[in-house]
Amino acid sequence: QFVPKTDNQSDLEGPHRNAGPWLCSICSQQNDTSCMSCEVCGVLRDLSLYFNNTNEPEGGAKRRNKHSGVSVLARSLFTPSSPKSKAIVFSDGFRGNKNATGHMQASLGTLHKTFMTHKQRHNIVPFKFDIPSPDDMVSIGLKSSRHLRKADTSVPCVDIPGKMVMGDDDLVAEKDTSTDPSSSVKLDELGGNSSSVAANTRNETLILDNELQHLSLERKPKNSKAKIKKPVPVSQYKPEPWMLQGEDQEMPRQLNLAIVGHVDSGKSTLCGRLLHALGRISKKQMHKNEKEAKEKGKGSFAYAWAMDESADERARGITMNVGVAYFDTKNYQVVMLDSPGHKDFVPNMISGVTQADAAVLVVDASLGSFESGMGVNGVGQTKEHSQLIRSFGVENLIVAVNKMDSVEYSAERFNYVKSQLGIFLRSCGYKESAITWVPLSAMENENLVTAASDTRLSSWFHGTCLLEAIDSSAAPHRDVSKPLRLPICDVISSHVLGQVAVCGKVVCGAIRSDSKVLVMPSGELATVKIIERDSSRLSSARAGDNIAIGLQGIDPIHVMSGGVLCHPDYPVSVASSLELKILVLDITVPILPGLQFELHAHHAKVSASLVRIVSLLDQKTGKASARKPRMLTARQAAVVEVRLEREVCVEEFGTLKALGRAFLRSQGSTVAVGVVTRVVQVQG
Amino acid sequence: MKLVHRNLARNGPGSAKLLPEEEDDLWHAYNLIAVGDSLQAVTVRKVLRDSASGGRDAERVKLKLEIVVESVDYDKEGNVLRVRGKNITENDHVKIGQFHTLELELKRPFVLRKEYWDWLALDTIQQACDPTASADLAVILMQEGLAHLFLIGRSITATRSRVETSIPRKHGPAIAGYESALKKFFEHVLQALLKHIDFEVVQCVVIASPGFTKDQFRDYMHLEAARRDLRVIIENKSRIILAHAPSGYKHSLKEVLDTPGVMSLIKDTKAAQEVQALKEFFTMLTNDSARACYGPKHVEVAHERLAIQTLLMTDTLFRNTDIASRRKYVNLVESVKKYGGTVHIFSSMHVSGDQLAQLTGIAAILRFPLPDLEDIEM
Repeated sequence: QFVPKTDNQSDLEGPHRNAGPWLCSICSQQNDTSCMSCEVCGVLRDLSLYFNNTNEPEGGAKRRNKHSGVSVLARSLFTPSSPKSKAIVFSDGFRGNKNATGHMQASLGTLHKTFMTHKQRHNIVPFKFDIPSPDDMVSIGLKSSRHLRKADTSVPCVDIPGKMVMGDDDLVAEKDTSTDPSSSVKLDELGGNSSSVAANTRNETLILDNELQHLSLERKPKNSKAKIKKPVPVSQYKPEPWMLQGEDQEMPRQLNLAIVGHVDSGKSTLCGRLLHALGRISKKQMHKNEKEAKEKGKGSFAYAWAMDESADERARGITMNVGVAYFDTKNYQVVMLDSPGHKDFVPNMISGVTQADAAVLVVDASLGSFESGMGVNGVGQTKEHSQLIRSFGVENLIVAVNKMDSVEYSAERFNYVKSQLGIFLRSCGYKESAITWVPLSAMENENLVTAASDTRLSSWFHGTCLLEAIDSSAAPHRDVSKPLRLPICDVISSHVLGQVAVCGKVVCGAIRSDSKVLVMPSGELATVKIIERDSSRLSSARAGDNIAIGLQGIDPIHVMSGGVLCHPDYPVSVASSLELKILVLDITVPILPGLQFELHAHHAKVSASLVRIVSLLDQKTGKASARKPRMLTARQAAVVEVRLEREVCVEEFGTLKALGRAFLRSQGSTVAVGVVTRVVQVQG
Repeated sequence: MKLVHRNLARNGPGSAKLLPEEEDDLWHAYNLIAVGDSLQAVTVRKVLRDSASGGRDAERVKLKLEIVVESVDYDKEGNVLRVRGKNITENDHVKIGQFHTLELELKRPFVLRKEYWDWLALDTIQQACDPTASADLAVILMQEGLAHLFLIGRSITATRSRVETSIPRKHGPAIAGYESALKKFFEHVLQALLKHIDFEVVQCVVIASPGFTKDQFRDYMHLEAARRDLRVIIENKSRIILAHAPSGYKHSLKEVLDTPGVMSLIKDTKAAQEVQALKEFFTMLTNDSARACYGPKHVEVAHERLAIQTLLMTDTLFRNTDIASRRKYVNLVESVKKYGGTVHIFSSMHVSGDQLAQLTGIAAILRFPLPDLEDIEM
């Protein structure tokens, strides 16, 4: 038999279970055993009787205990798992119930009768077809509950009709009600002015009813497929005041720093060293890495393992995916993007590093390694990466000439590397003044965060160390006043951010929590719940910030990396066919129409084919030649038309640079880089 | 395909009774059946009949019909061939001149009657009926988060399955999410493999990917096979080979077929020859661009000067509805052969054929450079 232990009701119920005339717990009236409720105040005699009747197992009792603080209405409505709690029906049910009780008799005893005799009566409320179906109810459950809760708190007695009605219209809720001894207490307290209670409750239900109907109406248009409003021209967009607030404040700005270079040039080790020197890696962690690296016989990888965390990367000793780490300098909060250098992972590098504002090109100074990075046979990734980085829009480049220890910190070697690479970098379009050269050794910690200590280096090099060079990079331009665009770099789910969370850099505009965003290309709306940067919570984020966002109200299948979060009224354009202005890189096999390639644009990659070559552009003047060319060879510029296998969110380069860049890869190497000149929009 | 009966003259009229047996055969039939031919096959037709009570009864009647072909439609996903045309046989149920669509299926014979059997049609029959040329190869082309499963037959490449999952990058503590997402992805690919690959038919399975995804997947597959006791995989372990691919997209299949390990397996097949021929074309274009050309106009001019050494064409050109242009291409091929050139006819169902089809469908490697082709408008 049920005996509540934790509730304060237990002492109330104690006397009820005595045999013979029973004592009302409230008014102390001696009642006859045959009476179920107190004759004076109408308090139920013994609730445990009903437990036996309803065959409720002990589980029910436990549940009741757990909820005893919450009103029954709230409970039955808000528990999302109880499928029968049709919030909409109770208002109806209540009306029916009121008719049945007729004149109300000014005593709550009648109420109790209805409440107790429900098992015999069970007048099932006919289902109304003009109201949303139970399925709809589940979907709006969350929403309606929010409104209901408000109503609930405004009028204290609202839980009473809930109980009554629940008793009438569904069994699950009714059990809950009958097992709740707190109800008797409440009823008794209100016993004096029962009529006012009735009036109150009636009003309340009417309000709720209205509210629900309103909700259901409101819901309808949203259910229809067309969620994307007619696009408004972006030029009409006016930034909201909150977006610009704090713009002038002197807070450290974010700098997205890409670390690129040929395979095995020491990118990850450099990152690990930097983080360690800046105290971002705990001693314990470092010790663990060192130990594990030694065990695997790869002692020199200890620092790289700070970035390469996956088992595969560690086992093979190469970075496969872009690693992300954070550190602060005087002027910037730096987001470091450690890219993979291996040829096969250039696609990962492209999708991970497109968000870069500045870049460090790591070059291996040791004999032979530098040459292979420059691509004696085939294209080396030193070259490929620096071309890609340039076409990401990065203008300032820091060249870290690594592994200087292996060449005895020779000034001669450094100058050789500088002259060789310098020629190439200038041909890529980097300005001489925008390149900073830093000789260093990541393994020996020379010239990283402090000036060189080894005399062999300090004797001839007097420039800045790497950290200073990073700190003195020009501040990237931020476009806050445009509508929001956030290309999705990653879709994750974590217990902090929720089931659906995305990572990426805000390209333009701003985002704040609780605002609505449109997820393209699926065209679904979602609500921003949490904004996080490096595991710290933010209330809003502006252009240039690299953040993680927890989304709510959207199915994970609609969110894919390569998509774009945008302002609901200003959706990004979705293209299935593009006109590109491309610059062909150093390729051997010429480009012909019909070429099939992978097209990368921000974080999206898609298979595409070249439909036709529209015109060839003159290298010097940039004018289109009259004749249609037969094919494209290395270093030519041309306008081409491509067809995409699937639609992709892009913008014309003139509108938004970050979303207007494209990279064409075929047969494992980058064949061309380009910008979008025309988007052939698809009608969704 | 089986040639059941034949009554025809080379370059003359006649008929052939054929029995398609494999999926490839329908593709051959598609290339064989041209507009204007007549086709006889057993079919089912819904016949409306006025019953005595005045109502109308619909009845399905099985009958043999012969039609004059007006259009041919090949569904590569469902592997069905539909031929639409006008009835020409006297029949209780179908009037002469009524339209009917014959659906050609495997194991159901049909009789094809042509006014003119050119060498190409005969060649197609010969190829289709050659049982030794069969090479069924399964290729799993994958990259992290994307996988395709292809079955490469004699003349068609069928995409059997496509698996796509989003795999997060590594992010400190979310690294576990990466591992589990990758596992899930591999599981999907493995399921696709078990579902679509029949080791009785397939000679071998090639797992191709950039980076280490292929190795990771192979390890996962063998581990799971041992754990779940998947006999098919354990027994055919030696028939699963790895190859490098530049990406997981369909067009990378070319490069996979071109890797030495795979090439040796499919050496004599049409797919391999096509890949080789196209590669030669591109090599020629790279080394001496004046000795390679594409587009009908350029190829025609090159042929007039007897410059064509190798002619590459897709079968789409022969499937032209316009009989005159088909005749033109057939004649071109014949005369190139006559002057000592070689001809490769690509199946547009293979990747290399698909690429050639987008490159106007016709290209040629020349015996001597023709730099002035540049100046001729395409």
